[in-house]
Amino acid sequence: MPKFSYGNEEYSFDLSEIEKKPYSFGGHVEASPVLFWFDQNASLYKLKFFDRDDGGTAEEYNVTLQLDGSYEKGITKFYTKINANIRQSYLGWADQTNILEGYVSLNPSHSLSINMGKKALKWGKGYAWTPAAFLDKTKDPDDPDLALEGLANLSADYIKSYSGRLKTISFTPVLVPVYSDLNSDFGEKNMINFAAKLYLLLYDTDIDFIVLARGSRTTRYGFDFSGNLTPNFEIHGELAIIQNFAKKFIDNNGNLSNNIFNAKNFLLGIRYLTELDTTFVIEYYHNDTGFSENQMKNYFSFIDQAYESYSTTGNSTLLQQALTITEDNYGKMNPMRNYLYTRISQKEPLDILYLTPSITGIFNIDDKSFSLSPEIAYTGITNLELRLKVSILSGLRNSEYREKQNAYRSELRMRYYF
Amino acid sequence: MIKFLLLFSVLTVTLPVYAIDGDKILEQVDRNLNPESYESYKKLINIEPDGSKKEFVLFTIKKGKDRVAALFISPASEKGRSTLRLEDNMWLYIPNVGKPIRITSLQSVVGGMFNNADILRLDYRSEYDVETVQDNGTEYLLNLKAKTNTVAYDKLKMWVNKKNLLPSKIESMTETSMLIKTLHFKEMKDFGDGIIRPSVIETDSPLYKGYKSIMIFAKIKEKEFDDEAFTLTFMSNMESLR
Repeated sequence: MPKFSYGNEEYSFDLSEIEKKPYSFGGHVEASPVLFWFDQNASLYKLKFFDRDDGGTAEEYNVTLQLDGSYEKGITKFYTKINANIRQSYLGWADQTNILEGYVSLNPSHSLSINMGKKALKWGKGYAWTPAAFLDKTKDPDDPDLALEGLANLSADYIKSYSGRLKTISFTPVLVPVYSDLNSDFGEKNMINFAAKLYLLLYDTDIDFIVLARGSRTTRYGFDFSGNLTPNFEIHGELAIIQNFAKKFIDNNGNLSNNIFNAKNFLLGIRYLTELDTTFVIEYYHNDTGFSENQMKNYFSFIDQAYESYSTTGNSTLLQQALTITEDNYGKMNPMRNYLYTRISQKEPLDILYLTPSITGIFNIDDKSFSLSPEIAYTGITNLELRLKVSILSGLRNSEYREKQNAYRSELRMRYYF
Repeated sequence: MIKFLLLFSVLTVTLPVYAIDGDKILEQVDRNLNPESYESYKKLINIEPDGSKKEFVLFTIKKGKDRVAALFISPASEKGRSTLRLEDNMWLYIPNVGKPIRITSLQSVVGGMFNNADILRLDYRSEYDVETVQDNGTEYLLNLKAKTNTVAYDKLKMWVNKKNLLPSKIESMTETSMLIKTLHFKEMKDFGDGIIRPSVIETDSPLYKGYKSIMIFAKIKEKEFDDEAFTLTFMSNMESLR
């Protein structure tokens, strides 16, 4: 056992610390009190709170337990990640338990692995948005590092390395069954969907070609890349072509229209590290499948009319109709067309180790509304992460961020890993 | 006669210095520190001025001149993270985030004085040219210059023990010769299979007054890996190599 004395302390490296066991178990427990300041004139406040009065602020308390476990025997590995959450909010108590991932992996060689079960594939190169990640749940750009639930699938990874300009090729075919009790929210049921990704490390650039064949969803083609222009300047991008995308939208009277077209979504981003250890992450996202400024104004206007109608007649039919069109449509994260994401973080300012202040801005380029979130994170205590984050949402009336239910939000997140 | 004596004395003093092949010394230093392809376990300890500390345990693999990867074994908050370096390309894989993201050599995935280049170190010979060699009696002093501007530290001063051709101290500097950090090599250890080298590297920096970082090696073993183990797709599967 290597030992070393420094000052009055003796440091050791016990071999038991590196002993490999066939099983592993870990995870984290997290507590996060959140305080919301409502904008009672906002359309989405009216939509969600039309039949209740909770005052101008609301508190929410979350306790989350995430467990990771694995067992390895020979070429076989079992892995699972379970997330359980208890929430106390203005809606009362709620709890939810999800198996985020649970799969078996066969690794007959370093070149080949076969996975079966619920597994998050995490494709794409974007930080805040990943338009080419056709088989992943949509990321929350406000918290892009959150663990996402995977789809049940059968996939394989075949990897080949070379020397020269082309250093790596890997091919990942995926089958995604969709039935009423399996991946039911992915799209049309009773289908087995095929997708594939071809990855190349070519000229020091990561390149992916992605395809999702027509099945539960329409055919989609994707492309992404990431490379370093200089050691401290990375550039990345994604392109997604969605054939026959069906967009549902309403006019200000609530009449539903449907538009089918070939959509092209794309993202361009950089990550830049300065000599003073400041990191800039900037991404531009064009969401062709999103709503125009006019379509969004019509939606807000319809909610306002529905609320007026409820206020005068007590009839909530129109508001229920607005709630229906909000779900998985207008209510999506970033439902409009052009966004700019900027995150500036400073590592260990004033030589305070493990302290990282940062500020994140998500700007809606179309309607000029935005959310601005300063935060401070501290990781100085082993296995403990502390984060305090405040979000300010602003914009003109009938703009995306102005019409959200909150004007401000503050959250303290305390996460302990074990 | 005086001219001849002068010429003779100049030649006898300078010839041995010119005869020293700095590149060969550096190559030998690399091989004495570790085999070209190997696996190792190391612990990084960041110590703050008030004595509080943070420890990280890493499993590292290297193949040839330009491939190295590391897996975090502890603490629990970092467990499962892995880093990969192919020449100047570096990536970090975080299990929650999932897909590997590109990182730079100057960033630090552990905080404190260790940056990514320290964790994913290639052979010195791969990244540096020997500019000059000084014979200081029991030691050589090698002045090294980075081959490209992608290397984390532009200049190194390396003090090499003549007897065992192992470094005792390395100063890392910027292009303008500003000292960034000093590495002190300590505690010789026999790791087996002829690998006898310092097992502790203590680091201090004028930029972090009062802070120290210590790297302790527990195992270094010559081992060959498939090229495919050094790919983005394999990063989530590094634990299977242990």
